[in-house]
Amino acid sequence: MTPVTGQYDAPRQKQRERSGILEQMWLNRFDYLYVLPAILVMLIVIAYPIYYTIDLSFFKTPPSLQLRDKIFVGTDNYAAILSSDVFWRVTMNTVVWTIASTLFAFVLGLGAALALHREFVGRGVLRAILIIPWVISAVAASYIWKWIYHSDFGVIGAVLVGLGLTDRPPNFIDSVNTVLPSLIVVNVWREFPFAMIMLMAGLQTVPEQLLRAATVDGAGAWQRFWHVTFPHLRSVSTVTILLLAVANFNSFIIPWIMTGGGPASASHIWITHIYELAFGRQRWGVAAAYSVLLFLILMAFGYFYVRALSGSERKDHGE
Amino acid sequence: MTSLYLGRAIGRGIVVAAMTASLLTSSVLAAPPVDLSKWSPEYVRSIAGTEEFDTAADCAKVTPLDYTGRLTFWYQGVFEGDPDLLRQYYKDFFEAFRATYPNIVLEEQALTYNDLLDKFRTALLGNAGPMVVRLQILGGVEFASKGYLQELKPEDVGYSTEDFWPGAMKSVTWDGKTYGVPTNNETMAFIWNADVFKRAGLDPEKAPATWDDVVKYSKQIHDTLGISGYGLVARKNAGNTPYRFMPQLWGYGGGVFDEATASPTYSQVELNSPQSKAALQASYDMYVRDKSVPVSALTNQQADNQPLFLAGQLGMMISHPSDYNVMLDLQKKATGGDQEKAQTVIDNMRYGLVPTGPDGKRAVVFGGSNIHILQPEYVDGGKVDEPAAKAMVCFWTSPEWSLKMAYAGSNPGNLNGFKTKWMKERLDSIRFLDVTTSMLPYGVPFPALPETPEIMNIIVPDMLQNALTGTMTVDEAADDAAKKVEEIMGGGGL
Repeated sequence: MTPVTGQYDAPRQKQRERSGILEQMWLNRFDYLYVLPAILVMLIVIAYPIYYTIDLSFFKTPPSLQLRDKIFVGTDNYAAILSSDVFWRVTMNTVVWTIASTLFAFVLGLGAALALHREFVGRGVLRAILIIPWVISAVAASYIWKWIYHSDFGVIGAVLVGLGLTDRPPNFIDSVNTVLPSLIVVNVWREFPFAMIMLMAGLQTVPEQLLRAATVDGAGAWQRFWHVTFPHLRSVSTVTILLLAVANFNSFIIPWIMTGGGPASASHIWITHIYELAFGRQRWGVAAAYSVLLFLILMAFGYFYVRALSGSERKDHGE
Repeated sequence: MTSLYLGRAIGRGIVVAAMTASLLTSSVLAAPPVDLSKWSPEYVRSIAGTEEFDTAADCAKVTPLDYTGRLTFWYQGVFEGDPDLLRQYYKDFFEAFRATYPNIVLEEQALTYNDLLDKFRTALLGNAGPMVVRLQILGGVEFASKGYLQELKPEDVGYSTEDFWPGAMKSVTWDGKTYGVPTNNETMAFIWNADVFKRAGLDPEKAPATWDDVVKYSKQIHDTLGISGYGLVARKNAGNTPYRFMPQLWGYGGGVFDEATASPTYSQVELNSPQSKAALQASYDMYVRDKSVPVSALTNQQADNQPLFLAGQLGMMISHPSDYNVMLDLQKKATGGDQEKAQTVIDNMRYGLVPTGPDGKRAVVFGGSNIHILQPEYVDGGKVDEPAAKAMVCFWTSPEWSLKMAYAGSNPGNLNGFKTKWMKERLDSIRFLDVTTSMLPYGVPFPALPETPEIMNIIVPDMLQNALTGTMTVDEAADDAAKKVEEIMGGGGL
């Protein structure tokens, strides 16, 4: 019968904890006052837009009406989106775009980081050169690549025709089959330096003694990488992959400038499609519903990101 | 073809009929300053330089020249495809306005054609619009119908409605009320490279007479010389696409609705009519079957076709009169042998009327821009300085400036502009102006509907891209586009 006492004690314990928290808050009230402006700003610039977008997603906004005259339609926008062919096509493009861009940028970044981790003449210069794609403006990069890819007078086409390898310049961005892979190449080119920098920082944490010990034990290059280096990079790799995935899911500039989502919507990803729905077609309600879905997916990424960060922090503290 | 909601159609029919009647009546009461029935290159030459106008004196009657105020103004400005000459006139205009109204603090912002609508819509949602805006011709009705614009007619700024093209006035009219004043109006023409024609075995001095001829010529040029024949443009969200495809669509007897008829009612979607499909088929034949047009047509704008043409890699295209000046500008920037090559192309540039359809129908987009004053509640700060706003409208739509601001690429919105000495000077200095001016009577205004920007910038280019990429057949693409138009006209659609 002893548990009975415990059952009576539990609410009191909770009450004590609650009053303890309130007491703590009261004791630290000035600290809260200091962070209040920041909290208010966050509420205005983050919480309100989120609330407004969710609210707007339940309304219809025909192009002939002002936004303030919007019509309540409940969950119709969500139903319309989920039952539309375009949604699934754009979602497939987004998945391919995000996974391929993230994967290739990470792998290329890892290779570059490993190569640049060794001492050699000109390492600094090479590192600076490799960072260039990441630091130049995405808008400028998009226009440059558009010119490189141009189906009539592009640089690649001119070189290939000049070398006699083909009669006509290859069609990179004016074909529904090649446009997405072509844009992914540009995106990977722009993003791999970010992965490289993150992983180079991670490589600094790999203990030299372990690598030397592994060498003494007869481990080859691949075994040293797989059993010593890579486990030390796991946390930074997780964070890098998550950050790249979120950035790619949210990508706008490259596909919008280079193709505007075309041809025939073959390079439309969620963000460009949402932009077109909202600003080109004034379907604010549908665009808001899309944004809410995107928000939920990104929140899931965010959750894993925070988990990965706290995991690495715990590890740093030897927990 | 499917009937839309009958009530809405009848309503529109009544409005359009009333509008037409009022236009006819008013033209009887107050005659236009020029005789539109006599319109020809000879007539335009005969009236050029016959009248003097004093802009400052005219606008002083609207807003005193010593008026003190503040004005925010957004306008569709010059872009990469415009000639340097036009850039200079834009500079001169704002200098002249500031000199004429020294006490009006003017905060102007130029935006490109493709950015203006998106930015303006966004600003309006946040009540952060400018006091005055100069929009592309297809934009006005959308904003008027939503109540963003003030009623504004030429008489409010010292001019008469008859001073402007009737087609242009349609584009600022919604539900029988006027919401703006036309600044400039344009019709494009057909441009070709005589040297390319000659080398391809075509008559170098003769433009293709019909759109079917364009398809044939394009193939012949491509097959003989290995270069692109016709400068097709099919990019989405780019004004260049409807300006080049709609003349073809109308020429074949098609349309989005019945906008190419004398009294359009916009009651029935015609995008999937046999005539419209024939027009789409012509584009398909050039892009897919014959591969005789630039492959980059799906991501290109006209600005991309210009260097191709100058490099002698493109035989013909629809274009502004300003392209002659653009070519001169580009040629100056070329170096070495390229400069000589470019000169050869310029010497061989020819302009002609836009081809007709199989039944002899000739049409071109009646383009241009209009200037509007916003309702105060949508303006940043919540106030519109009315006298300052009217001063700007008066100044830009004056005979002098509506001509100068359209010097190389367009035509004056104010018909009196054709009578100025600058028009005479322009006729002497801008080659091929005659041809594009002659196209004006064939101008068809875009449908005066709030949904038009979406139809022209998204649905029509989508239709082209779906057909040209093989994503859909020509029939399917046309049916799909017609369905989308029906949906949005019914207030739905994703």
